Amino acid sequence: MLKTIMKSDRQKSFYWALLIPTICLLGFFLVAPLIMLAELSFRGVDSYLNIQDTYTIQHYVEVFQSSTYLKTIGTTLWVAFITGLCCIILAYPAAYMLVNARTSGLRTLLYILLIMPLLISMVVLSFAWIVLLAQNGMINQVLLKMNLINEPIPMLWNLTAVVIALVQVLLPFAALPIANTLGDMDPRLRSASMSLGENRWKTFLRVTLPLSIPGIISGFVIVFSLAAGSYITALLIGGRMQPLLPLTIYQQVVQISNWPLAAALSFTLLVIVACCVLFLGWLLNRWEERVYG
Amino acid sequence: MSITVKGISKHFEENIALDQVDLTIKEGEFFSLLGPSGCGKTTLLNIIAGFLHPTSGEVSIDGKDVTNLPPYQRNIGMVFQNYALFPHLNVFDNVAYGLKVKKMPKQAIKEKVEEVLKLVHLEAFTKRMPHQLSGGQQQRVAIARALAIEPSVLLLDEPLSNLDAKLRKEMQTELRLLQQRIGITTVLVTHDQEEALSLSDRIGVLGDGHVKQVDQPLTIYRQPKNRFVAEFIGQVNIFEVEAKDLQTGNNSLPKYDANHHKISKDQPLVLETTHADDFKNQEKKLVMLRPERIQVVDKLEKSEKVNEVEVTIVHTNYIGDSLRVYASLPEQGELLIHISDTVFEEPPQPGEKLHLHWDAADVIPLVEKE
Repeated sequence: MLKTIMKSDRQKSFYWALLIPTICLLGFFLVAPLIMLAELSFRGVDSYLNIQDTYTIQHYVEVFQSSTYLKTIGTTLWVAFITGLCCIILAYPAAYMLVNARTSGLRTLLYILLIMPLLISMVVLSFAWIVLLAQNGMINQVLLKMNLINEPIPMLWNLTAVVIALVQVLLPFAALPIANTLGDMDPRLRSASMSLGENRWKTFLRVTLPLSIPGIISGFVIVFSLAAGSYITALLIGGRMQPLLPLTIYQQVVQISNWPLAAALSFTLLVIVACCVLFLGWLLNRWEERVYG
Repeated sequence: MSITVKGISKHFEENIALDQVDLTIKEGEFFSLLGPSGCGKTTLLNIIAGFLHPTSGEVSIDGKDVTNLPPYQRNIGMVFQNYALFPHLNVFDNVAYGLKVKKMPKQAIKEKVEEVLKLVHLEAFTKRMPHQLSGGQQQRVAIARALAIEPSVLLLDEPLSNLDAKLRKEMQTELRLLQQRIGITTVLVTHDQEEALSLSDRIGVLGDGHVKQVDQPLTIYRQPKNRFVAEFIGQVNIFEVEAKDLQTGNNSLPKYDANHHKISKDQPLVLETTHADDFKNQEKKLVMLRPERIQVVDKLEKSEKVNEVEVTIVHTNYIGDSLRVYASLPEQGELLIHISDTVFEEPPQPGEKLHLHWDAADVIPLVEKE
């Protein structure tokens, strides 16, 4: 008995040892910078934006008193929300197809197609959208040639384009969790529903859809947080003037050099996104507790 | 409602799961589809339920051809092996699921749910979630859910195989009583011969996609038609025999020599049967003898050594209500004997000799393949 306890203790410490490299990496390059960032956001600046040794909350006051910043935060969350929603709506049928593919060969092929965007750099993907959407891009060229329009439509440099590009880039992150929950679902539940007289569509609405809520929430959480912090796609497709927080933060750092304000903005974004994620996680937890105990 | 299955075949690419199956299940009957795994019994049930479409053939329920109807238009009640309760709905909503499809008024749904839950003794559990129920309780909810829609037939797919032995016995009794009370036509798929024998009005034994025999439990056990049924249900001694050209004796029963059971080098075991008329015209003649039909006697009586033999015990297996004795003939062949627990004080030991005798009525002709 004692021996097994000792053994399991030793086993436990072995597992911890395996985690050490990851913990070090995360500690040095994620947690420590975050703490430094938090500290920075409370530093005072003089009129030349030099960082002082004093502590103040003036940057947070500035963030929450400026209608521009508040609007930017609102727009950023809105864009992330719409992107998440579009991703879920588009990813669900794709995941459904994937899980119900007739042969395993077809399933593998669909899987590869689905995760393809993950294998290609975001910069390349975003540039591809520029090629398509630019004033002299493919879509405008085709429409002009077909005489459907007289002059090019401005399709780039607006928030709609940003959402479209983000949806494409982030789609796999929504599809994979949904495919997971759909794949884990017992197909006999659908059979049971049909034996009770419910047709395929209603069976989907009353059984499949509610039971895939965990996948939907996870997918949404991932896409939402990635979209809220997305910089490259927003910059390349939307341009640097879009009211999106990552762009504003970049401007504060690189162009204006107000590091404490940039830190305050970063932390505000981080906390808001974390709150959204925690809320959705709590919902997910409650649902799973109800269903699986 | 009766169920008729006519010429049903089901091919999965190269594999033939069912081959030209014909069955008629009578109204109000408890019918079991019994067979080893992979025999096509679940496939057949799924075809009756409408979850699978047959490659060819026809299914009718109550005389109406339903072959091309989807499952949700067949009005069937189905109970699955893992119960398939909806995990996100409580007991009440699970049972009410099919009633909501019919757009019944709320009060009527409530009354119906309470009625069927009372049938399965779960009226106090309406608010529980499926994960809060034991296996047996989940099973009852699944049955209540299937019965709530007042289906024309009840289909059970190995519904008891996930329960432990004691609970399974209880549920068997309960299921049978419930079925008799409601009088609903029921098809049970099972690989458990005891379950099929104890529950059913009739059993259809399936093997390799064919119906091997359809009969009442007693007939299935006592007069199996072929080797497959005889070997699948219960334990059995099977002898390959040849008609014996017998000059001596005034016994009118025909006698047969066993080809692979020998008392000495040139003296085969001799069997006689009262069922000689049942031999089909095939080259290889087979007879079977159930091990519990063999009696242990003090000494061999007949001089011609017919339906009796002296054997040596190889090993024994005590299972409570009987002792299973594996014994060998002096020259070639083995016999399995079940000795009732009531007839011995001390069980006989390996190496001991036993004198065995059996009645000609217990030697049943079989067909190799059908």
